[in-house]
Amino acid sequence: MATSAHNKAPRMPGEERPSSRTTTISVSGIHGAHQSTRDTNSIIGFPSRKHFRVGGGSKVLEKSALQTPRQVVRVFDEEDNDVTPQPLYQAHPAAPHAKSCRLFLDEISAGSASDQTTATGSFTMPFSRSMFGSSRISSQSTIESLNEEIEDTFSKWEMPISFPDVQGKRNTVKEHVAKDMLKEVTDVYISEADSISLLDIPSTLMSVEADDTEVIMEKNNQYAELCRTRMGNNKYVDRAVQTLNGAAKNKQVQSDSNVMVDSATTVTSWDIYDALIRPEQHEEVSSREQEGAEYPGAAVDPNSGAERSASVGSTASTASTASAASSLNDGEALGSSLNTESDLQLNVLSETFQHCLLVMERSILRNTLQPELAAYRQLPVIEESQVKPGTVEKRQEDTESPRSPAVERLWAFSYERSRGRSVSSMAWNKINPDFLAVGYGELGSSEQKAGLVCCWCLTNPTWPEWDVQCDSAVTSLDFSSINPSQLAVGMRDGTIAVYKVNSQHNVSCVLSSSQCPNRHLNPVWQLRWTQQELNLTGDEMGESLFSVAADGRISRWFICSSGLDCTDLMKLKKIQHTKKKAGGTRTESVLSALTPGLCLDFHPTDSSVYLVGTWEGLIHKCSCSNNEQFLETYRKHFCPVNSIKWSPLSPGVFLSCSSDWTIQLWQQDHQNPVMGFSSTQTAVCAVDWSPKWPTVFGAIHEGQLEIWDLSSSILDPVLVQPAAAGVQMKSLLFATQTDCVLVGDSDGQVTVYQLKNLRAGGSSQVKLNDKSVESKDS
Amino acid sequence: MAEVEETLKRIQSQNGVQGIIIINSEGIPIKTTLDNASTVQYAGLIHQLVMKARSTVRDIDPQNDLTFLRIRSKKNEIMIAPDKDYFLIVIQNPSD
Repeated sequence: MATSAHNKAPRMPGEERPSSRTTTISVSGIHGAHQSTRDTNSIIGFPSRKHFRVGGGSKVLEKSALQTPRQVVRVFDEEDNDVTPQPLYQAHPAAPHAKSCRLFLDEISAGSASDQTTATGSFTMPFSRSMFGSSRISSQSTIESLNEEIEDTFSKWEMPISFPDVQGKRNTVKEHVAKDMLKEVTDVYISEADSISLLDIPSTLMSVEADDTEVIMEKNNQYAELCRTRMGNNKYVDRAVQTLNGAAKNKQVQSDSNVMVDSATTVTSWDIYDALIRPEQHEEVSSREQEGAEYPGAAVDPNSGAERSASVGSTASTASTASAASSLNDGEALGSSLNTESDLQLNVLSETFQHCLLVMERSILRNTLQPELAAYRQLPVIEESQVKPGTVEKRQEDTESPRSPAVERLWAFSYERSRGRSVSSMAWNKINPDFLAVGYGELGSSEQKAGLVCCWCLTNPTWPEWDVQCDSAVTSLDFSSINPSQLAVGMRDGTIAVYKVNSQHNVSCVLSSSQCPNRHLNPVWQLRWTQQELNLTGDEMGESLFSVAADGRISRWFICSSGLDCTDLMKLKKIQHTKKKAGGTRTESVLSALTPGLCLDFHPTDSSVYLVGTWEGLIHKCSCSNNEQFLETYRKHFCPVNSIKWSPLSPGVFLSCSSDWTIQLWQQDHQNPVMGFSSTQTAVCAVDWSPKWPTVFGAIHEGQLEIWDLSSSILDPVLVQPAAAGVQMKSLLFATQTDCVLVGDSDGQVTVYQLKNLRAGGSSQVKLNDKSVESKDS
Repeated sequence: MAEVEETLKRIQSQNGVQGIIIINSEGIPIKTTLDNASTVQYAGLIHQLVMKARSTVRDIDPQNDLTFLRIRSKKNEIMIAPDKDYFLIVIQNPSD
């Protein structure tokens, strides 16, 4: 051990160096604060330190120092030089740091990085005693590790110590030492610390083979003997002792009694069902609670309106919903709420309430229109207070008093927005026979008015189910049969739009042909959805939309990426070479080789064959597979053919009507019409077969509705219904399942007429007698 | 919201409709076209009736529920459309 090093022994307590030196220290005294010389780490002083947290030792030291007489410890190195570190700090008893600083006491050598902050409470006196008993020190390795710890604690410890110069010195010495001492070998001695006895209860048992067994046993026997003879023995005197009873104190405690409330509910079977099936809706209904009217024992008075009634006591309601019978509190609560909450709650009403309103509206209307609706549905009419001779409608011939056929007006579909617009086309929904689409649009006037499409439901003739405004006048409509919610609308400007009814009031335009380059630029006079079995290439096809327009093209529309696109099926070429009227109101083409097509009808069974009527009065029969040529041409009319209809019940027979005041009945094989009908000298706007009676058809002149029955008369219509004053009838539609006819007029009304007493049951087909083959000159 | 108002107006203007009352699930009227006294009376009585009717229907089959209730009397007809949270009551005199 270098003496020089010793001289420079650090005066500071607890310096640690990772040095490998050891010094033997002879320590005397209880503290055994075996000091660490500068080499060794202060730890040396406290061999037992390794048992404690770092730095604990020093503190211990400190305490022990307080209470036990300190012994001066002196350190000697190998050469018996006195290397006892000098005290660095003379502690003042009054100093607040005194305690902790004493750790530093160099005598103790401290150094052990006593950490002030470390809780060394555990190092009590006894510990210290035993600790300091030893004098030797830890092993090298542990020292080193401890060193590190102590380093840390030391550094922490530096804070409270206000020895800046000491620290500096410490540091310098540290360094100095480190350099010198690194290579020297330090011996460290480990010794065991005294064991600490925490509890010592000597045993009362002894081994039989112990030395003083005999003595003990003798004593035991004597004692046992003594106990036995206790009673009569003079050595023992009984004495009474009184124990002092402590004074009793009464303390009363009172607790809140549990409040008991009776609660009851009537549970119905659907309450149980609700609870089982829909637990989440359970909580919603919790507003209807049952409260106990009074406190325990009272009968439960079912009261609803928990919020409003004064809550009596605790509302220990049961979990189940209120029973059916719940009486309201009297109206005092009601009157106030009549208007205050109306606005607030109406906001909530809207979504869920619509359906109620709808049903209600229909019910009300049904009340008022009950006779008419019943007649429509061919139900017996209920006799009401206003006596109406109950007319029971029969489909077959009236075997009772034969009445003459009559037309009875049932009701009219119209509402405010449709007034003033002319009805241009009507179509039934293919799936729902009560659903009717009506297109409104002014056709004759020069001004372009916006068009309107309404969907009416039979149950509500005063308000359509939905309506949608179109850009231009609507000229034709058709419902699709595959997608019954799709409605194709053809307009005056040539646009074809497909609307889809999503929900009750939600209509969206799904497709439109306005972007298609091939679109019609002229009014689309007729639209038809038709199922096609085979298309041009021979594949099976679904439904496609066909249109005929005033530009003389018949097109088939299909859906492409950007909307509708079409292919031309046929172009209507002029057969006659007469110049067309230019500047006509219905067409924009001045000189074209095509003639406007006005109507289109597909054969009921063979969907690839169709008829088209033209402006020139010609009727062409065409096939979908042939683009160039007509299969046949029927000439009779010399004015525009307004409507063509195949008979649904008689195959191969069709009707045509035109502005030349006539209606012609054709059979498809004959070039000439089989029969012609004319009644008044006005243009026939529309003609339609009855779906039920094969010999009945209806025709509309501008001023009247005519029903013809071929089985009764071929000269005159069976029924004539004049139009209302100032109104022209425009379109005609037969109802599919009842014997009613719908007529649309120029005022926007769609009137439903019922055909009564039409004795047209007889034949199932139109039989063409030889007599009637000759066409009548119209 | 506006649709509700509109539809109510239309109903009000129908033939023979004497009054409309909307009550909530506790039987408190929130909108009415009748006078206060009648409204209160109707609301209280009809609420009980609807509860009873609904309970009857559901007791028979818990999966069933009441959708519409109509009471036809000599002088008029009371129609009740129960919703989840509200009842719509319309009194109509159909012979008008």
